[in-house]
Amino acid sequence: MPTLPVNEPEPAPSPERSPGLAILVLVAALTLPLPAAAGVRPAYGGEVRVALPAAPRITDPALATDPGDLLLVRAIHATPLELDADGRLSPGLLEEVPAPEAGGRAFRLRLRAGLRFSDGTPIAASDVAAAFVRLLAREGPAPNAWIALPVLGAEAFQAGRAATLAGVQVLSDRELLVTLASAMPEWPWALAAPAAAVVSRGGAGAGPFVLQGLDGAGARLAANGLHWRGRPFADRLTVKGADPRAAARALSGGDLELVLRPEAVPGATATAPSPPLLATYAVVNWRRLGSGAERVRRVLGALDRAELGKLYARGPSAPTSTLVPQPVLAGPAAAPASPSAPGAPGIPGQARLVLLAAADVPDQRALAERLQVKLFDAGVRAAAELEGGGRFAARLAAEDFDVALVPVQVTALAPALAGGQVALATRGPGAARRAMTELAGLPAAAAAPRAERLTRTLDLVPLFSTGVRASAGPALQGLRIRADGAIDLGDLWLLRREGP
Amino acid sequence: MLALPALLAALAAAPPIAAPPAGAPPPPALTAVAADLARAVGAPLDDRRGLALRVETRAPALAAPLETALADALARQGYAVAPQRGAADAEAAARAGGQDWLLRVQAGLVPGRREIALVGEVIPAWESFFLQRRPGARAVPPRLVQARGAADPETLLLGREERPAGAPFARVRTLTRLPGRVLALAVGDAGDGPAIAAAMPGAVLLLSGDGAVRARREPDRAGWAPVRDPAATLAIGDFGGARLAVQWAGAPRTEVLARRGDRLEVVASLPAAPLCAADGARVFGQFVAGTGLLADLLAPVVDPAARPRSERTLYGVAAAARGGTYAFAALGTDLNLVLLGPDLEPAGPVLAGAGVGFALADLDGDGTAEVVTSSPTATAPDRVRVLAPATGRPLVFESDPLDGLLLAGAGGDLTGDGADDALLGLVGRGPDGAPVTDLLLVTSDLRELP
Repeated sequence: MPTLPVNEPEPAPSPERSPGLAILVLVAALTLPLPAAAGVRPAYGGEVRVALPAAPRITDPALATDPGDLLLVRAIHATPLELDADGRLSPGLLEEVPAPEAGGRAFRLRLRAGLRFSDGTPIAASDVAAAFVRLLAREGPAPNAWIALPVLGAEAFQAGRAATLAGVQVLSDRELLVTLASAMPEWPWALAAPAAAVVSRGGAGAGPFVLQGLDGAGARLAANGLHWRGRPFADRLTVKGADPRAAARALSGGDLELVLRPEAVPGATATAPSPPLLATYAVVNWRRLGSGAERVRRVLGALDRAELGKLYARGPSAPTSTLVPQPVLAGPAAAPASPSAPGAPGIPGQARLVLLAAADVPDQRALAERLQVKLFDAGVRAAAELEGGGRFAARLAAEDFDVALVPVQVTALAPALAGGQVALATRGPGAARRAMTELAGLPAAAAAPRAERLTRTLDLVPLFSTGVRASAGPALQGLRIRADGAIDLGDLWLLRREGP
Repeated sequence: MLALPALLAALAAAPPIAAPPAGAPPPPALTAVAADLARAVGAPLDDRRGLALRVETRAPALAAPLETALADALARQGYAVAPQRGAADAEAAARAGGQDWLLRVQAGLVPGRREIALVGEVIPAWESFFLQRRPGARAVPPRLVQARGAADPETLLLGREERPAGAPFARVRTLTRLPGRVLALAVGDAGDGPAIAAAMPGAVLLLSGDGAVRARREPDRAGWAPVRDPAATLAIGDFGGARLAVQWAGAPRTEVLARRGDRLEVVASLPAAPLCAADGARVFGQFVAGTGLLADLLAPVVDPAARPRSERTLYGVAAAARGGTYAFAALGTDLNLVLLGPDLEPAGPVLAGAGVGFALADLDGDGTAEVVTSSPTATAPDRVRVLAPATGRPLVFESDPLDGLLLAGAGGDLTGDGADDALLGLVGRGPDGAPVTDLLLVTSDLRELP
């Protein structure tokens, strides 16, 4: 079946492919039996209704990390770069993919002419610079700081030792120069991540849709006629949360057009998996566990990760062996299990180990319960404690756990950036800097063993990564899952068939 | 004797004859071309006036009228004409009948041109005293005469060959492949014969009738509004000083283009989108702002004050090259195709389920256009379908599945048989994965049929 998207992106200057990207592109390209109407061009109008496992809550690109929030961020905001159908970087707000200068330490970013936020204010180079600064928030969480951490002066700025971000120079209304602390030729891949999106001073985005309302039921959005690619096909978009049964019922009843869940919706017209880029890591808290930490680490390390993914992930999954998720690396497909830990007495002084997990991320509860059993079998008693969004992040930051299961939705497809993103989420900015410095510029073959060493150094236990399945109703067209798992909601449109 | 196909091919390569001078209405094409051939034969030599006339045509319907026209023209030259039909050996029959000459004429339509060509052999048939011992010998060497003239619609109708029993209604073949995605197509006379125009996201091309690129233009996109789904409208017709007009969705105005060598140059601009043109008529409309769709606005003239008739939006509008009952068709985004008369008012049934790659073309030359369209199914491969709404058998042809999407179309005579052909743009991927468009010729020209 031809799956040619009828909207062709602007020509891109053929940037290098990300190491390890081929496998992602293969996944995304070969598994898209989604509707592509033969002989029909997109129609405009109507409402596209999307259901997720949970309603999105966060619209700030600097703060969003959950898959649902990231989907909403992509609907509202625009990024400097995009990924094309072949998984290559392509221009977004920038008029071209920046070429590395100064040996991979500097990048000149030039905006397209005539860009505007959805509120009508022009987008200037200073807005892009402000986006980097926002990512390095000095107060409060900065979960997406990994994009700006490589920039020269980021550490000093974040620590309050510098008033400005030294590595970002605004050259004109449309051009800025970004200088990194050290060479990282693959840094432009960060500019395609949703966290790199540009936000106006008033909080407006430049994405295909404008937020009209956000509450516990979900988000309501309207078309943004000022998007750089032109207005989206749908007039309106709603994104809400729904349990599996409700989602299936709504999809079959024509009350939803798209369901994004780990499992396929029975009876859906078409389904396609996204690349498994939601990676889960077990973080062992040495400070609290003391000498017992090694024991816990060995138990977790001995788990059969392929089996874990098969049994406890409802969606497409892949075992993960390093801090860089397997799909980003063109390394071995399966992670070997460590030798089984011998039976041993419990952890001295530790009556019951606290196993912290995210309550609102799919499969985390089942995984935590499985780990409880495995730890018990090894003589370690554990109590799973599930926390939602903000509470989970706060306890993670405060190291209020013995073992934490940290899910990270990896959004950059270069190993150095993916490693930095995971290291930041699990071990903080220092670890992220180290990971990015060590992996920068490495081809996939060299990045894999380095990532493995880093994983040991950062004391992470990689488990598996998962994706979601997109289940579409019969009228939905234009659905394409990118190599980074993103969906451009502005490309979705509804096939209208009416009698004469 | 020359083989007729080779002869016609040679004639096709020759330059066209001049059009008849303005003034009095031209005589019927058959009369004119017969007179030309008779002049080429010349007056009777040595008072030898007996002439056997043998006419052979590929289209049977053409033979008798042409024979009449030639007999009349030759009689005016002073010959006593005896039509000869059916004899296996025409020359022997002429001799046996006591004729002085045998004029054996072969005739047919010139491929790629709206012209009829006649080729005659003037063969002496009288008995010569000096050749008694060689009864088959000719008294003087035979000579070749020929004539060619513009074919009027009646001649095109007569010259059209009948489809053999069991032959398919149409054939689909690739005319040429263009890199990139074709957004819109037009077929017509761009000033020097049949031509194709193709609008792409970053260029407009003018091609010859056989698909060779003749000229191109890359527009300056500065100031254009972005449109998520690139689209364009394109027409070949009379646009006041030039014959090609194009507007891209998001562009501020229509460009009227004239060919200068291998370039297309802007000679004027219009504040309305050229939806289609044919048979002296042009239809203008407008894009819905910010989209690649058209408003429900069809106007015969550029009228900046014109307003859409409804909220309905259109994918495109097509014209039949020679008008007729179904002179135009408009495809809505509801995938309903509305057939329109010359006055742009509904003139036939609404066809549900037409694809955006569609054309109006009178493929069988019966005077009423067929709808050549794609197959807008959500999961199946695309196909070319020919619908004849005026008949009791609407689907008269369906092609094999195609590897790609039919996203543009236009109608007009590209093979030169006098009947329309359809041209559809099949968008797919080339060997390197980049978008390509195959221009598919859909024709009922018997010379194309297997």
